[in-house]
Parts: sequence; structure tokens; C-alpha cells
Amino acid sequence: MKTPARTPLKVSIVNGPVRTELRMSADELAAAAGISPTMLARLVRLGLIEPAAEGSAEFTAASARRLRRMLRLRRDLGVNLTGAAIIVDLLERFERLEAELAHLRGGP
Amino acid sequence: MAVKFRDYYEVLGVPRTASADEIKRAYRQLARKHHPDLQPAAERAKAAERFKEINEAHEVLRDPDKRSKYDALGAGWKSGADFTPSPGGGEGAADAPEWEDLGGFSDFFASLFGRPTGRASRDGVRIMVPGSDVEAELPVTLEELLRGGRRRVTLGGSRSLDVEIPLGARAGSMLRLAGQGEPGAGGGPPGDLYLRLRLIPQPRFRAAGDDLEMDLPLWPWQAVLGADLRIETPDGPVTLKVPAGTQSGRRLRLRGRGLPRGDGGRGDLYAVVRIVVPARPSAAEREAYETLKRGASAPADRPAGE
Repeated sequence: MKTPARTPLKVSIVNGPVRTELRMSADELAAAAGISPTMLARLVRLGLIEPAAEGSAEFTAASARRLRRMLRLRRDLGVNLTGAAIIVDLLERFERLEAELAHLRGGP
Repeated sequence: MAVKFRDYYEVLGVPRTASADEIKRAYRQLARKHHPDLQPAAERAKAAERFKEINEAHEVLRDPDKRSKYDALGAGWKSGADFTPSPGGGEGAADAPEWEDLGGFSDFFASLFGRPTGRASRDGVRIMVPGSDVEAELPVTLEELLRGGRRRVTLGGSRSLDVEIPLGARAGSMLRLAGQGEPGAGGGPPGDLYLRLRLIPQPRFRAAGDDLEMDLPLWPWQAVLGADLRIETPDGPVTLKVPAGTQSGRRLRLRGRGLPRGDGGRGDLYAVVRIVVPARPSAAEREAYETLKRGASAPADRPAGE
């Protein structure tokens, strides 16, 4: 992984806000996933990762979670990235249904 | 110090004579079944524990050096038996490392191969374990989506973070806090923390994309004659001009009073008209309506059934 090493937090309270990302640039997303910007561009061209809006140069923070998940599945299960993207799509759909079900059952 | 023996062959469900291919296949099969990313949120933590065991077994059995060192212990060991490392064991043996420092690898593993470190140890073991990503839900108020803000979030009861809620966030948005997930081991980077925003329901406003909606109940005469009404908006009270002849269901737009967008603009606020009739009209009201009934002409768009 190319991700720069960060110091794990050992303290119980972190003073001051931690950097919170809602939208990310392509370079930030690539760094977040530990891949090169060139590879990210390829994934975007293949439609495996989509920008925040059509034609936008930005990505949502949710796409960082998605991409990291895809890369873990590739590493651990030996699927290619297209396969990993399909798995993540299905998982995300499943999670939405789970959340809806919990909501219908009177959950939070 | 005695640690609990782990039977790595048993974990992967392969015989001691298994070939490298068989080990790989068994690992892939178990990974498909137990991978934390494939589990529903509620079962992810449990699966992560199991997956760590599977990974550890695979880490040892896939590497010929580690495997032969492990095999040299002999076949007589039972899983969970007290195991006292020989003095020639891994470097971690002497200093009894804590579980948390091992990035999910067991103390048994450490006693044989040393603690996972970014540098190659005496045995040439070099393992970098990135920390897991952590996901949680963050309930936010409409106020926080409108004005942003800082929120203290407690994670697993052990530590707290001050999280900035950025302008442009929505119900269902995900926030990324880089490196605030589980710590890595052996120089591996920590995981990320992802917070999914959930809007705490409140009676007055509904969010729909960038826009907000509110109900605007009108008496029939206000809808017919028009009215200037003081209404509460997220920015405080404003006077809303209700045009004469406003139908039920009409959406009156208050431009730029919706949710903030990331680009500095704002969505709109819609007041959705709902005409309410007096449930228990007073005698005077009844009379007024009777007069209205007698005086009403027959408009072309009169309701059916009259």
C-alpha cells in the first residue's frame, strides 16, 4: 500500500476537530485507496468508480469507502476489480434494504 | 510465558500434507465465507475476528519458511493447549507483547515468529497489517446540516473525536475521517472511520435533496382571498405572501432558504399548502358558510358531486 503511514491514535480524547471529508479530489481519493491517480482514472473510465455528479471532478467520501472495499476484496478473495465492483454494488443494495427493513420494523 | 497453541491446519481445514495450491484454495473458500466486507453490519465485528484467525493461519502456511518452522513443533499439539515457546523462538517471545500491538495476530504467532513489524526481524518476518475501516452512524439535527458544526463523537466507549459537519452534508451522506479507524500493525496504516449521517426527525421541515419542505395549513378564506402570513423558516420568521386562489397542494417557493450546498449556494424552501376546514364551526361561522353557499356562483371548475 502506498498510503502514507499515519500515527494511530492512542489518546482517549482528541483535541480539536479531525479533518472530515465529504468530497474529495481524484488525487485525494487515489491516496485514500493507496493506488496511483492513473489507476484511479482507469477505474473511472471503466465506470467502476463514479464522480460525485456527472462531469464533476470530485468524488464523495462514500466512494473512498467503496474503493477501499473493492481493493480488499481483490486482495483477499482473488477477484478482479470488475468482480469486486459488482460485489460492492450488491452489498450496498443489500445494506440499503437492511436499513429500510430496520426502519419499517420501528428501529432507529 | 505460556500461550495457547493454534492449529493452523485445523483453521484452514486442510491436512498437514496439503499442497500450496490446496492451502490457497482453502483460504480463498474461507475468505469468501467469512470476509468482514461481505457480512451484514451487525455481524461484521464477529466475522473480523474469525477472518483474522484465517489470515494468520494462511500467513504461516503459505510461506514455506514459516510453515516449516511451525511444522517442526510436531503434530502432537492440540488447539488451545498451553504452549511454552522455546528460548530460540521469535523475538516477541521474551517481552510478552500485548494483543493490541499485534494487529490481530495471536500471541502464539508472535511467540514463534516475533511481533509483526515493518522491518524484517531476525527471522526475516515482515508483516504490515493495515487497520480495519470502521463504520458508524451519526445522528445529526437539521440545524447542524444548515449551519455545519462540530460534534463530539464517542467511538466504542473508548475514545472521542470532535467531528466537523461540513456544509453540503445531507442525511445519508458519508463523512470520511482518514486514519481514525482501527490502528494498523507493523507499520501498516490505520483504517478510516466512515460516519453515515442520519437526520434526527423533527416535525416542521422535511429534507428532499437540497430543498426543504414544510406544511402550510390555510383556512379556506385565506386560500380564496390570499393572505400575508408570518411563518417560521430555518432562518427565522418571514412574511409569506399567499396569492388569492391558492389551491391545496400548491408549493410556494421561498428561494435560497433550503440546505446549503458545498458551492456556497442554497436549496429552496417549499411551503406546501394544505387547506383545513374548521372541524367545529361556531354558529357565526356556520352562518357565514351558509351565506357563502347561497351566494356562490357555479364556477366552471366546481368540484364534482355538488
